[in-house]
Amino acid sequence: MSRYEDAAAGTAGGEGAGRAPAPGKALGTGRAEPVLQLTDVRRRFGSLTAVDGVSLSLPPGARHAVIGPNGAGKTTLLNLIAGTDRPDSGTLRLDGTDIARLGPGRRNRLGIARSFQQPTAVAELSALDNIVLASWRHHGTGRGLWRSPRRHRQLTERALRRLDEVGLAPVAHRPAGALSHGQRRLLDLAAALSGTPRLLLLDEPAAGLTDTDIARLLDVLARLDTDTAVILVEHHSEVVARFARTVTVLAAGRALITAPTREALAHPEVREAYLESVPAEETP
Amino acid sequence: MGFLDAQFVPALDGVAYGLLLFVVAAGLSLAFGTAGVLNLSHGTLYALGAYTGAECGDGTWGGFLLGLAAGTAVACLAGVLLSAATAPLARRGHLAQALLTFGLALAGGNLLVEFFGEDEMPVPVPGVLDSTVTLLGHRYPAYRLCFIGMALLLAAAGTWVLTRTRAGAAVRAAADDPQMLAATGISPRAVHTGVLAASGALAGAAGALGAPIIGPGPDTADTVLMLSLVIVVLGGLRSLWATLAAALLVGEVQTLGVSLMPDWAPYLLFAAMAAVLVLRSGLAAEPETAAHQDGAPSRPARALAAVRAQVTTGTAELTARLTGPLTSRLPARLRGPAGSAAPFLLLLAVLAALPSVLDAYSLSLVGYALALGLLAVSVTVVTGYAGLPTLGQAAPFAVGGYATALLAEEGWTTGPLLVLLAALAAALFSLVTGPAIIRARGTTVLMITLAVGELTVTAIDRMGWLTGGTDGLVGFPALRWLPGTPELLDERQLYGYALTVAAVALALTLLVLHSPAGKLLTGSRAAESRLRASGHPVGRYLLVAHLGAGALAGVGGSLMVTVQSYISPADVGFETAALALLAAVIGGTRSVLGALLGAGLIVFTRDWLAGAWPGHAPLLLGALFVAAVYLLPRGLAGLLPRPEPGRPPAPAKTAAPRPAERSAT
Amino acid sequence: MLQLTAVSAGYGGGTVLHGLDLDVPEGTVHAVVGHNGAGKTTLVHTVAGLLRPAAGTVRLAGADLTGRPPHRTARAGVGLVPQGRRVFASLTVAEHLLLADRGGSWTVSRVLELLPRLGERRGHRGSDLSGGEQQMLALARALLGSPRLLLLDEPTEGLAPQLARMVHELIASLAAEGLTVLLVSPSPALAAACADEVTVLTSGRATHHFTGSTVRADPSALHAALDLTAGGV
Repeated sequence: MSRYEDAAAGTAGGEGAGRAPAPGKALGTGRAEPVLQLTDVRRRFGSLTAVDGVSLSLPPGARHAVIGPNGAGKTTLLNLIAGTDRPDSGTLRLDGTDIARLGPGRRNRLGIARSFQQPTAVAELSALDNIVLASWRHHGTGRGLWRSPRRHRQLTERALRRLDEVGLAPVAHRPAGALSHGQRRLLDLAAALSGTPRLLLLDEPAAGLTDTDIARLLDVLARLDTDTAVILVEHHSEVVARFARTVTVLAAGRALITAPTREALAHPEVREAYLESVPAEETP
Repeated sequence: MGFLDAQFVPALDGVAYGLLLFVVAAGLSLAFGTAGVLNLSHGTLYALGAYTGAECGDGTWGGFLLGLAAGTAVACLAGVLLSAATAPLARRGHLAQALLTFGLALAGGNLLVEFFGEDEMPVPVPGVLDSTVTLLGHRYPAYRLCFIGMALLLAAAGTWVLTRTRAGAAVRAAADDPQMLAATGISPRAVHTGVLAASGALAGAAGALGAPIIGPGPDTADTVLMLSLVIVVLGGLRSLWATLAAALLVGEVQTLGVSLMPDWAPYLLFAAMAAVLVLRSGLAAEPETAAHQDGAPSRPARALAAVRAQVTTGTAELTARLTGPLTSRLPARLRGPAGSAAPFLLLLAVLAALPSVLDAYSLSLVGYALALGLLAVSVTVVTGYAGLPTLGQAAPFAVGGYATALLAEEGWTTGPLLVLLAALAAALFSLVTGPAIIRARGTTVLMITLAVGELTVTAIDRMGWLTGGTDGLVGFPALRWLPGTPELLDERQLYGYALTVAAVALALTLLVLHSPAGKLLTGSRAAESRLRASGHPVGRYLLVAHLGAGALAGVGGSLMVTVQSYISPADVGFETAALALLAAVIGGTRSVLGALLGAGLIVFTRDWLAGAWPGHAPLLLGALFVAAVYLLPRGLAGLLPRPEPGRPPAPAKTAAPRPAERSAT
Repeated sequence: MLQLTAVSAGYGGGTVLHGLDLDVPEGTVHAVVGHNGAGKTTLVHTVAGLLRPAAGTVRLAGADLTGRPPHRTARAGVGLVPQGRRVFASLTVAEHLLLADRGGSWTVSRVLELLPRLGERRGHRGSDLSGGEQQMLALARALLGSPRLLLLDEPTEGLAPQLARMVHELIASLAAEGLTVLLVSPSPALAAACADEVTVLTSGRATHHFTGSTVRADPSALHAALDLTAGGV
């Protein structure tokens, strides 16, 4: 188990929360202050409860995956953390600060970055320009609409390095709309990384990627700052297994289990729930 | 009791008026809500029914019923034709539809006047009904009372069909999910045709029945369209009852309201519309973005996506074929990014050479086209770059124009200073209206900005002590370049002034749009969620863009006043706003040069070409718009060399939601 | 019954299905399993006519359906139960049945006999139904067209286990009546429960075939084909 010593995560599963550790008390050693702490977060859409009382606590440098069948509430959970959506109840804290009422822009400037399930880039701008835009408000370059030519050159150089890291330097000057699906995914990832975030949210970064691109993706992820906490939503089991140290299995909006990766994936109930697209009736 | 008694007749009139509007608006709402067609020629269908009814009516029941049947049938047929005309535009969004249906409305209105004459037509009603009845001690026209009954019957029948029959179920299913309707074995195309036919029939029937209330005349179509739009906006698209309530409200405002508070009634409708829209978009803003992220777009979000797709993309083989030979002949250097200034310099050179070849009248028309061109460019900035389709830019245009006129009257005659002050006034105006606009997206923006524009014109109309009211302002001192320099008197001097100011304003606009700030704006439109997720305050960027565009429109207004030495509400009303938007759309929505050329084309058609065929300017303009929709799917900009070589055609699929391909998580 | 020959399809230039061949004999249940993004829904959309294939042919009982619009394929006998149910939000259950009834061998009363729950919810709008009820309504809507081929796209997605089991039983009973079924799902369990044939779809290509009985006897080979065995993760 020592492999997982530094990785820690705690969650509770809604009403069936008998086994829930107290919010904030991490599963592992719990020695570090959590970067992100969710307590009993809920979000309903009409009659559907997309996220049903999820609690989660991540230390700096966490490598955490959220898996579960379609419709389990994974993307909604990411949206709640990123600020594109607001919870109906529950609290969200980033480094101890309550962020539940802040918009996505504000949360990003506090250190939350994300990639999207559908890669979003400005199709008519070059890949490089896209990354320049993504890092526009970071690295102490100022706030407004204006950047001095020197600053702009710095931004551009930094963006070019960022593109090089994800292997997109050769297509830096191509319009983003002309890139392949895999390239747009990597571009989206580069955009998410360009603010050097405290917390990185990745929404199915491997979907639709070729094996080469996946290898590239894992390579980029492996070189992430060790202090950056990551939440990965992913269906691709190999990516989860190779990247995540801890896993939360989500089903019908609730956390079924949170545990070190191998343990969670080997759990029979989880295998049943995950592989059959059916939530288990009760958790052990 | 005395008060109620005195207002009885206007109140009952309001009911009749409201029910009439309900039947028309229900058709508009049906076409927009379930067939996705924003039909700006709906008022023309009403006028068609009204003229037909009036023509057939001879004071007998037979003539009346014949008129009703013929009016309904003719408008129904027009609806079917409209369905065929809009079907190829299904993927091009609401702006293309607006261009088409506005063109049809202009041409149709012109043809109706051609056939039936300029005057309001008297409408005979059957003899029995051509009398008054006594109701609670008031004499009231029997026809209106009878009309209330017939309209209620029509409304009940329509509601029954929509909520109780298989056809009605198919219509509502088509609004929910056309793909699944098709997978159930029912052709959405057939439903589309049926809906537009029914929508036309409703307008035609309302026209034939309502002719004695809103009679057929040259302004009928516009009045009916505006009021129906207000009703559809107030009532929303989901519930017929809400539409009915909104229609009765509008009817009462137009009758009881005018009777009770004549000073305020003109503002009430559009103020209510703006308030409802702003509140609604404020409430909807967050769930809407959330739904976007979730990949399960709500209906408004899908409509928005369609409008945005129209704004952001738009591609067709035809243009490729048209532009292919043109671009291939240009030197490579001109096709690169560095060459994007070349077309402007070329245009500038042509414009600068015009005074030596054109007569004074034509030259002043070109000057006016420059003013309208600046307005169209400001629409392009807001619509094409910021992604907020606007019908409200005539308002800052008006502010700039009136500011210039009023300051000139006070003796401020230094042109450049006046332009700066006009820009400042217009920017301040846009700063006030901006927050109401930038939270909304898509057609909601069109409606909010329409309300802003109408409120502004109404205010100008009513503030006669300052603005000269309907008569406008005229006869202010001539401008000078600088204090002490000679006055700009003849057309050539004025043209030179207008061209210089316009060139400077455009150069500034282009500089900003091509700077990194312009890219921020592009990003805000094309990938709003990515920009937000990267920490950008997108709302603030949109506000700045709106402000800058307002200032540009203000400069345009200032130039118009200078060139034509005259300004009145007619110069800055809905028609100007619509023409500016359509100039931008014809131009390609995101092309500054295209918008300029579009404005030029419109002025050329309306004021110069129509000079050879008096009284047919609307017909020619209408033909221009209809032709532009089909022949220039990418706008005039599609004919120009692409600024970015190697850019692939934008995928048209963005216009079509693919819910099933997205995960529900 | 259904025959796909070298079908390639995708969205906006990108190809998702690469030259897929598939043969579903009359009266059998064929399951296509694969990960998200493997092309399952693309396959369903192509057969249903919601997506025009870039290449290849789609035949139903010998008739060429390639590129036909969805309402024509529906009339030709393809019944679709789409992913996410996609019931009409503003229509009541009764209106769904009214709309979908095309007067074939499946009548409203026969459908209500099979799915009695819908009868109890006649007056409720599609948006007010639970997930399971929506699934039944989507199934009823497809059946009322009296299809020769039923397309099921992830029919147990997001359903509670007992409901999922009920869906398994429904599919089995429909198959017993001789209906041809093509179902796609990421879940090998659903395939194992009711399929006669199982195809594994990987990145738009059919990579493995199993018979239903093999899978029921030993699901490990199918799991291995899906890379879902414990050792894989």
